[in-house]
Amino acid sequence: MTATPILQLRGIDKSFGPVQVLHDVAFDVHPGEVTALVGDNGAGKSTLVKCIGGIHPIDGGTYRFEGEQVQVHSPRDAAAMGVEIVYQDLALCDNLDIVQNMFLGREKRRGLVLDDATMEEMAAKTLEGLSVRTVKSIRQQVSSLSGGQRQTVAIAKAVLWNSKVVILDEPTAALGVAQTAQVLELVRRLADNGLAVVLISHNMNDVFAVSDRIAALYLGRMAAQVRTSDVTHSQVVELITSGRSGDLGLAHTNGATA
Amino acid sequence: MKAGPSQEEIRRHNLGTLLRHVHIGGSMSRAVLADRMGLNRSTILGLVSELASVGLVREELPRDTGRAGRPSLVVRPESDQVYVLSFDVGVERLTAARIGLGGVFLDRRETRVRPDRRDAGEVTEVLAGFARQMMDTARHGTNCVGVGAAVRGTVRRTDGLVRSASYIDWEDEEFGAGLTRRLDLGLPVAVGNEASLGALAEHLRGAGTGCQDLVYLHGDIGIGGGVITGGQLLGGDCGYGGEIGHMVVNPRGGRRCGCGARGCLEAEAGERALLEAAQRDPSATGREAVRAVIEAADRGDISARAALHDVGDWLGIGVANLVNILNPRTVIFGGTLREVFLGSAAQIRSRINSHALAASRENLRLRVGELGDNGVLIGAAELAFSTILAGPLEALARTTP
Ligand SMILES: Nc1ncnc2c1ncn2[C@@H]1O[C@H](COP(=O)(O)OP(=O)(O)OP(=O)(O)O)[C@@H](O)[C@H]1O
Ligand SMILES: [Mg+2]
Ligand SMILES: [Zn+2]
Repeated sequence: MTATPILQLRGIDKSFGPVQVLHDVAFDVHPGEVTALVGDNGAGKSTLVKCIGGIHPIDGGTYRFEGEQVQVHSPRDAAAMGVEIVYQDLALCDNLDIVQNMFLGREKRRGLVLDDATMEEMAAKTLEGLSVRTVKSIRQQVSSLSGGQRQTVAIAKAVLWNSKVVILDEPTAALGVAQTAQVLELVRRLADNGLAVVLISHNMNDVFAVSDRIAALYLGRMAAQVRTSDVTHSQVVELITSGRSGDLGLAHTNGATA
Repeated sequence: MKAGPSQEEIRRHNLGTLLRHVHIGGSMSRAVLADRMGLNRSTILGLVSELASVGLVREELPRDTGRAGRPSLVVRPESDQVYVLSFDVGVERLTAARIGLGGVFLDRRETRVRPDRRDAGEVTEVLAGFARQMMDTARHGTNCVGVGAAVRGTVRRTDGLVRSASYIDWEDEEFGAGLTRRLDLGLPVAVGNEASLGALAEHLRGAGTGCQDLVYLHGDIGIGGGVITGGQLLGGDCGYGGEIGHMVVNPRGGRRCGCGARGCLEAEAGERALLEAAQRDPSATGREAVRAVIEAADRGDISARAALHDVGDWLGIGVANLVNILNPRTVIFGGTLREVFLGSAAQIRSRINSHALAASRENLRLRVGELGDNGVLIGAAELAFSTILAGPLEALARTTP
């Protein structure tokens, strides 16, 4: 419920060749809160978080982090500020174990050799800190994990680096009910521990169960950013499908050509 | 005019407070204790020495020592030495645990109950058997300092008389007194309502830690409730308060409730209502059955979706009322309501956002219980620990063989 957002985007434009995918997007993310990012397929949710994560350069607009305007040109720039993204396709390596995955590309070394003991300890501590008890051994190959466990490892990997903002792109899309519950609890715990969390989801129960704020994208425009305690399910559905609901939403939408 | 508290009373209070800090917060250094209690270090040293001398706490090096510098000692509760017995009289099972100071499970037993073993005398026998087994395995020289028990019914605060527990057909059952006599430990058995104890447990050790105003809803065939206001469990005049499951939400033509009334929250949103609306066997209650409805809804099953929609509606209406009356910071969904909440949160929230006053709901947090099936046992144990935390030396002196 902090007043100042840790992440603040204004006027973000993004095109792929001739196709403009994001139009003048404003987006705020607050520490200690879960911000749900919703919108129909193709609305631009993944594109927006890839811009935040430095995968796509933005064409225009400002990006502020902790109040300072910043230039984010690569995932490394984002990670250096403490912004971590768990992508829709997860990007875990099946043939590596949990510890190796969590440190992939950022291995700890002592001199020239890998510092396995430190990495194991950090991995174990992170999983423990998240109250993750379903993983049997941190030396287990990722290929042997269930969907929910893979998602958990990907999230643990994101918080391992003292991150301040964690963005999760549809973490529950491929999961059953029990595993979704575990991941949602984890998402909530991250925010309750003070992190800023962005959750992309198409499932309105997930959104209303864990979010503090809801940001609705409609055809590449931010239709509205509202507090979850101020809206109903049907209002959010209207924002997603038509870009407006009563007083909320875009002033002028001219349908599919917006 | 009453004189101020005596030195002795202040000391007893401080000993209890310090013990409560390490019991709830776990091992911590004297410096941290001094800070939290607002006392100077020499006073803390004296209190710690006194508690250590009777075997309630121990000072030791912290488990996980940092790299640099000399680690300072921490005060640790003597979990192996000092324990309580905790019982949970469920509808389908009886559970017992031996729980050490600090909330550590040292032993746990359970058995499924046959319908013909619901008689209070029989239940008492089973629990006494568990108590014997668990105390036999405890090390010699260890101390049982309290006994707590949870039942799904209304319990009179003064003497643990169970006024009514409809799921197990008890009425005016002298359960607390009977179990006290049967155990014969020289300790009165403290009896409480299961959801109230679940609320206490989540408040002290779960999703409501650090939150002084919360409402807990517990799904378990019916719907139980517990309310913490200003850090205290709300019991009302005789201890029957907090029966959220019997809050009337739909009296005109609503469903018949086990209590005899119509349209109670439990009748409209309990497991049976959910299963029936989803066109399933309403008597096959339990977590698996509830989960199956949510999974079916996830796959697009129309009646499962409609059932969750309805149940979510009633739950949201119930919670909106509670939010307006109590202004809780947190509402916690436990038992099988954890699953129901996650499966119908959009509906529940929408109702709250439409019916609860804006000011009352603006900081409201909806959470699921963190303690799972052990919550009730943990709550009953906390009830049992309350005597030793109120006056550690006196309580211990009374129990030492
Ligand atoms: N690398 C790319 N090159 C060209 N077009 C792209 C690229 N990435 C995304 N797009 C287009 O941008 C639009 C927004 O896509 P995006 O993946 O951001 O949507 P989304 O909101 O994440 O949808 P979903 O819910 O389906 O994941 C789509 O029309 C998509 O085809
Ligand atoms: Mg996407
Ligand atoms: Zn009733």
